Amino acid sequence: MTLSGMNISRRKFLAASGGVVATGLVAANLSTLKAVAGGHASAPTGEKGEKHIASSCEMCVNKCGFFAHVVDGRLKKLNPNPKFFKSRAMLCARGNAGAEEPYNPERLTKPLLRVGERGEGKWKEISYEEAFKLVAEKLKEFKVKNENRCSVAFASSEGFQEEIFQYLVQSYGSTNTVRHPTLCLSSVIQGWSSVYGVYPDADLKNSKFVIMFGANRAEAIVTPDTIDFVKYKPEGAKLIYLDPRFTNTAAKADKWFPVKPGTDLAFVLGVINVIIKEKLYDAAFVEQFCDGFADLEAMIAPHTPEWAEKECEIPAVEIRWVAREFAKAAPAAVAYPGRRTSWYVNDVYFRRACAILTAICGCWDAPGGICPKASVPIKNLDPLFPYFEMSDDRIDVASTVKNKLPKDKRSENMPTDSVAYLGEKDGSWLRFRDAIIAQDPYPVEAMIVYKQNFIEAVPNRAKTMEMLKKIKFMAVIDIQMTEVAYFADLVIPESTYLERWDSVHNLAGIWPIATFRQPVVEPVFGTKSMFEIAGGIINEMLKLPELWDDADELEVEDFKYDVVEDIFGKPMEEYIKRQLADHPGAYEQMMKEGVFYLSDQAVYGKTRNPEFRFKTRTGKIELANVKYADKGLNPLPIYAAPRQPEPGKYRMILGRHGFNTHTGTQNNEYLWEIQKENVIWINTQEAKKLGVVSGDYVTVKSSVGEQQVKVFSTEKIRKDCVFFAHGYGRLSPQLSLVYKKGASQAAILEDYLEPISGNAAMHETFVTIAKA
Amino acid sequence: MSQKKYGIVLDAKNCLNCKACTVACKFENGVEVGDEQYRIWVAEKDLKGTYPNLRLDFEPSQCQHCENTPCASVCPTSATYKTDEGVVLIDYKKCIICKACMTACPYDARFVSEVHHAIEKCTFCYHRLPEGREPACVETCPTKVRVFGDLNDPNSKAAKLLAKHDTYQLKPEKNTRPRLFYIIK
Repeated sequence: MTLSGMNISRRKFLAASGGVVATGLVAANLSTLKAVAGGHASAPTGEKGEKHIASSCEMCVNKCGFFAHVVDGRLKKLNPNPKFFKSRAMLCARGNAGAEEPYNPERLTKPLLRVGERGEGKWKEISYEEAFKLVAEKLKEFKVKNENRCSVAFASSEGFQEEIFQYLVQSYGSTNTVRHPTLCLSSVIQGWSSVYGVYPDADLKNSKFVIMFGANRAEAIVTPDTIDFVKYKPEGAKLIYLDPRFTNTAAKADKWFPVKPGTDLAFVLGVINVIIKEKLYDAAFVEQFCDGFADLEAMIAPHTPEWAEKECEIPAVEIRWVAREFAKAAPAAVAYPGRRTSWYVNDVYFRRACAILTAICGCWDAPGGICPKASVPIKNLDPLFPYFEMSDDRIDVASTVKNKLPKDKRSENMPTDSVAYLGEKDGSWLRFRDAIIAQDPYPVEAMIVYKQNFIEAVPNRAKTMEMLKKIKFMAVIDIQMTEVAYFADLVIPESTYLERWDSVHNLAGIWPIATFRQPVVEPVFGTKSMFEIAGGIINEMLKLPELWDDADELEVEDFKYDVVEDIFGKPMEEYIKRQLADHPGAYEQMMKEGVFYLSDQAVYGKTRNPEFRFKTRTGKIELANVKYADKGLNPLPIYAAPRQPEPGKYRMILGRHGFNTHTGTQNNEYLWEIQKENVIWINTQEAKKLGVVSGDYVTVKSSVGEQQVKVFSTEKIRKDCVFFAHGYGRLSPQLSLVYKKGASQAAILEDYLEPISGNAAMHETFVTIAKA
Repeated sequence: MSQKKYGIVLDAKNCLNCKACTVACKFENGVEVGDEQYRIWVAEKDLKGTYPNLRLDFEPSQCQHCENTPCASVCPTSATYKTDEGVVLIDYKKCIICKACMTACPYDARFVSEVHHAIEKCTFCYHRLPEGREPACVETCPTKVRVFGDLNDPNSKAAKLLAKHDTYQLKPEKNTRPRLFYIIK
């Protein structure tokens, strides 16, 4: 773009965000926003003066440190904490926009009890005390009726107060908890753990050769990786990027390969083939630390670069070059693990292959390679909860509902009615939902939800609505009227992360650091934290004898002392002090600087010790996984070609960007103004065939739903797939900035499962596109 | 007369177009939400090439704090002025919103602010400088694309970068002599 110098409408940065500008909508919304902004300009407390308070961010999962600049009791700005080395002392767009959260004109302020039909939006304001009493009564009701505490399920998403929510769960005794990992990263955790026993990090600060597979680090911000892969890229280092889309990461890469979707595994096998055939691997490392090399060598033989090229459409000559350069750079070479890997039915095998490539080249626990996460030693309070008799196995484990698997060779030998490695607290969202719908083997009739907007997060929205018909009571704790809140029976507002205390958490990694939260402003609307909410509900539960009659009396007495009195009965500052008690001065440092750490230097090589035992069956790095063989899975990462869309259809692929987190931040006006609605990326030539141009609306249709969305015709995507961003096309009118604007992913994604880790397989849906 | 000469050296190849700088600027300077209201921006340059051989560059920018200042020259009330360090500022009280400066600015860096009832633009976060703090956009940037400093101080990071690298400036044909220097990759 050239700067025209003309005084036309100022559109320089808008042209940047996706190629389409919704001018009409902008004009329509602007006056309302200004009215709102004027409305909350005054200080709520009457306090005078300026202060800078250390705390940490909750706009995404990274939890970057900041100093909140508070002027006359009102938060003015969040500034990056220079000591927060994990995020290299930065704060992203979302981190900055967080300063609007306490003052968001549509945030939840009072507990709301539904008075109309579900989803009608008719509510009655009640007090927190009434809300706590109601939740406790309902917990009793379903326990008594079903004689099974598992008839109440608990859903939550990642966050500092999630541990407090889990205290509430354990005080009730349901095993049915369901968390975010199986909509996100459970397959990459399983894949790498199956080789090393842990899910490690990549040292991008020192790596000389990096292969990233769809992990769009320029936009899907993960600290410190997003900074390191650009700012600290060593002189002469190379970044190789595979993605069907030309993302901002592709723009920074030395080579971009628009890989055929679902075939990244073929590429990695081709690379491993060259490295083994040309004996480029680290034989000494393999000999000393790895198990199963002979099996791998036999399996890999047919997977030549020429074979791989036919599968993944990346030239054999490039695969050879990548293999040789990777081996040359080892151990400072990275096959990047990634984070949101809810892609395909065989995702675990693909992640295993990346881990195996890393292992045979010895790129493990060394500068510039893949390293196990280190942590800051913080005391875990780990209180004991009573054991309740009236409990059962998790419903996604106990149920015999069938897994939905795509019909091709990849699904052969995959579990059909279970998940091979199901996280005990995480569950598997898709099986969980199917089992509730089937009420198999027992009914789940109530849900308590902490900040998990599963209506928009879980593929196949129509099916989630079907599940909700089985749920007779749903209480939701959140800061805003998400879809799940909108369709709930009781909504309990939480204080934002800027208005509450959160306990200390260790952010594990190559550069581990611990942080916490303290209120930077008083709760603007008198809301309560999860800590206060859980404490309040538990107090009401204690008044109902029916909730404690299937537990040992002494255990209940201990619980009353250890949990109710000693944790919930004291302020969160006490909890934090106990967590840091082993380190003199740590509490004071935390309060002042917002961080606690033992060193800001990375430590390498602890596990490169012949005495070290990896957390695998053999204690070695397992190139062939012994337990997989026992479970009927393939011990090696075998490849089968993915099914392809028939003519006239496109594969829906997903991806992240740095302006929003999932579905949680779109109603923040400072982020909304960057991207007001999502657009569907269609390859220029395909758009021509469909007779559409950028700005047209199209109907995107799958077997489970359809959505209308604006076209972005672009060279930046392959012809066989389409993409649009997450978090738009919303159902809750109280997210007015994005209500019915753009398209919802959950509405059109089909619910295929990756059954080794239980992850959703979100890149398996084929759609048709027609001009709307 | 101050010896200081403030400027920014930018390494745009490190820009991720993440918009951290533009959001930080809005909060720091109380710039209202709105598509016309912004002091700084990140331009996404035209995509070059055809699939699969593509190239995409980003160019963060703002008021250039020109040494030869067309906006100040046309201002009928002297509302726009230059500090000793060469920072171009606006005295909101003197501004009559005649918009002559908006027309004169070759960089489209100015806009009408309803908050100040005046024309507004980047100030290099002049209010932060006495406290030794960097402009908000510089501080918040993940990859530290902008490096702010005293170009007259050979030990400043900005001066060192400027000495080490070839740089280009925006619209040199306008003879504005900007204080923003873009490193040539």
